Amino acid sequence: MTSPSSGNGRLPLEGIRIVDFTVVWAGPYGTMQLADWGAEIIRVESVHHFAPQTRGLIARPPDEFAENSANQGGGYPDDLLGDRPWNRGPYFNNHGRNKRSVTLHLGTPEGQAALDRLIENSDGLIENNLPPNIEKQGITWERVSAVNPQMVMLRVPAFGLEGPYRGYRTWGNHMEALLGHPVLRSYPQLSLDYAPMAVPSDAASGIGGALAFVMGLRQRRKTGEGLMIEAATAENFVPFLGDFIMDYSMNGRVHERLGNTHPTMAPHNVYPCWGTDRWIAIAVRSEDEWARLCKVMHQLHLEDDPRFATMESRHEHRDALDARIAEWTAIKDAYWVMERLQIEGVPAGVAMHERDALENRQLGARDFWRTISHPEAGTQRHVGPLWRTTGNNPGSARHAPRLGEDNEYVYKEVMGYSDEEYADFERAGHIGMDYDPSVA
Amino acid sequence: MTGIMPLDDVRVLDLSRYTSGPFCTRVLGDYGADVIKVEQPGTGDPARALPPFYEDEPGLERSGLFLFLNTNKRSVTLDLKTERGREIALQLAASSQVVIENFAPGTLDRLGLGFDALREVNPAIVLTSISNFGQTGPYRDWQGTDLTLLAMGNMQGYGDPDYEPLKTAGHHATYYPGYVAALATSMGLMSAEFTGEGEHLDISIFETHTHSVDGRLGRLLAYQHNGRLVGRAGMAGAIGSGIFPCADGYFGLNAGAGLVQRMIRMVGREDLLEHPDWSTVAELSRAERAIEFQGILIPWLLERTKEEVRSECERFGVLGGPLNTIDDLFQDQNFQAREFFQEIDHPTTGPVQYPGFHAVLHRDEPMPERQRAPLLGEHTDEVLAELGVEPGEVEALRASGVV
Repeated sequence: MTSPSSGNGRLPLEGIRIVDFTVVWAGPYGTMQLADWGAEIIRVESVHHFAPQTRGLIARPPDEFAENSANQGGGYPDDLLGDRPWNRGPYFNNHGRNKRSVTLHLGTPEGQAALDRLIENSDGLIENNLPPNIEKQGITWERVSAVNPQMVMLRVPAFGLEGPYRGYRTWGNHMEALLGHPVLRSYPQLSLDYAPMAVPSDAASGIGGALAFVMGLRQRRKTGEGLMIEAATAENFVPFLGDFIMDYSMNGRVHERLGNTHPTMAPHNVYPCWGTDRWIAIAVRSEDEWARLCKVMHQLHLEDDPRFATMESRHEHRDALDARIAEWTAIKDAYWVMERLQIEGVPAGVAMHERDALENRQLGARDFWRTISHPEAGTQRHVGPLWRTTGNNPGSARHAPRLGEDNEYVYKEVMGYSDEEYADFERAGHIGMDYDPSVA
Repeated sequence: MTGIMPLDDVRVLDLSRYTSGPFCTRVLGDYGADVIKVEQPGTGDPARALPPFYEDEPGLERSGLFLFLNTNKRSVTLDLKTERGREIALQLAASSQVVIENFAPGTLDRLGLGFDALREVNPAIVLTSISNFGQTGPYRDWQGTDLTLLAMGNMQGYGDPDYEPLKTAGHHATYYPGYVAALATSMGLMSAEFTGEGEHLDISIFETHTHSVDGRLGRLLAYQHNGRLVGRAGMAGAIGSGIFPCADGYFGLNAGAGLVQRMIRMVGREDLLEHPDWSTVAELSRAERAIEFQGILIPWLLERTKEEVRSECERFGVLGGPLNTIDDLFQDQNFQAREFFQEIDHPTTGPVQYPGFHAVLHRDEPMPERQRAPLLGEHTDEVLAELGVEPGEVEALRASGVV
């Protein structure tokens, strides 16, 4: 395969311009994929409004926020918020790469007129806001298609543009809880208040949105007309629970608190290793793999224990089995166990933390990382494009845009305003790289 | 009339098995592609032998997993290890725009069906390969499952800090890379149609999870910013955030110092907002304030059902959701009103409910109805006839086990 950083030819979405109203994680992760593969993404923002959890949790957090963990809205460079915290947050600065930022105040007639110009000169518009809120700002298919009938518009509400939950505002973790995922994957041994409120549905929504948008482009090419596609984050994720949906609809069975168990395999769990919060995942798919695992753990003589003689009996006695394996792993280095078992062809993987990933030799060998320098946040290594191709791969990436960084380009070159008109927008308070002091 | 669909002029030769590849081609089928699923004669896709089974009884046409993953596909049995099987696969590739596979790296080349062989019969072919670690690199031939690949990707961030990391449910960890593969394929098609040259796309399951926006992406930067590992620290420490008991189960809520004011109003304590201890972001960020607020919040929650709390959250703009089970989901008012679940008939199961579409095209024509998963080899005769294979030869191939 070609090295990804070597390619600099035409990317699949080159020449496609997208107006981006996405917020938080799921929507921006989708437009990140489109930007990585050549689309021009123009984020429409406002100096009068801070979209929570997008450029950080709030615009001007107290100093101690900087030291919070990344998922509590912190993780700032050197634990410092800087003069413009909104340009320094770790999530935005990752998924914002290769995108542009323009500031525009939609609450004014000239702001709406400017948006019309942007729509006229674009191929697509993507948003993932609460439907009533974004519609109040004039972002509807009726308006967008009236201005530019060739537009591909992608809307990514949480639960649907229509329906009882049209106005129900949630984050991904609440939406996912309503779908049943945290209860399914929760700890078998613990109460449900320990259920993981993590959000794999956000990444899935990003991918599903990007795919739906590319499908829209292809549809437009075939029909000669623009169209609107709806990809509700909740509906997008339910198929990821497909086997549970089927077990319920076929057999009436309701699963819960499965943890790391598997319906048939044993062993199938994560086991503690030497060190702090170090874990090795081991999954055994066959008697042959079991024999090879036993060979590596020969001191335990598990092959002689009749409780562990077959997959079925191991599954039945999996708690006892897990306890024995954990005794063995607890005094071992997680990487030693992984390498040793993989030599034997047994599926085993270290639960990798951030440093593990950054230093991983597989990712290094595949040129996974991209170094990006940001004018207000320094230089870091970022995850690379999500896949590789023998065709043209994305080359180096541009840093995530600072708020309003591309105002001149977007107003003048994309919307076609003159220098004088741009100055008018500036005087009217549309243009800026700082949030208005009234924004919290 | 169902109208034009984005991929209704695209044929996909689907050599994939189990979960990741079939999830990918299921999605391409939803968008209108003609998916030809090649299965091993006799046994078929190994997913046919995986649970859940209809009435818990195993059988080739009884796996709910297989039925779910393989709607909108035609099944052709073909032994790719035979010379004639390989020739027919190449003929199918010649009339396809896309080939999807998830064999161990190197297998396709050994079968004589690698990218070079495919390109010879079809220069514009898009070949999408999904594998554990990618087609290259020192881990290329390592083993992996949903559990171990997710562990290496981003599982370290999933779960409670005092307990072990948790995987995602079921086959999410291999469906997700399949979804990424569908996106990659769509872009590969855009390129191939522009340049006339095919591409080989390489999707690594490990990388798709390392990339994930939730568990990993921001934290990888944050680590470089401050040198601290996040582990499984959730958002539960912040005020008004966590999973709390209510009258009939559990409810998840998030607020934090910036948003808790709405929750304070929701529980009827707007008087607190006048008090200096509750009126600044700095005060509301204090850990003891979060604990104090639980003493107000939990009694309020215990007097209300999940649906009552949800409805109040909606009214006050509070971020929260009920911890449901799958039967709750089926009865959920929003999914019912939107008629999300789809009834699909099947000779074994009769009509049962399937998850609906990931995305819906808004237009006058409805989305095309999904076709049930094919029986093993159900379309062998039909597809071979389309290729111009004589019925007599099909019989001979069947007798010799090639189809």
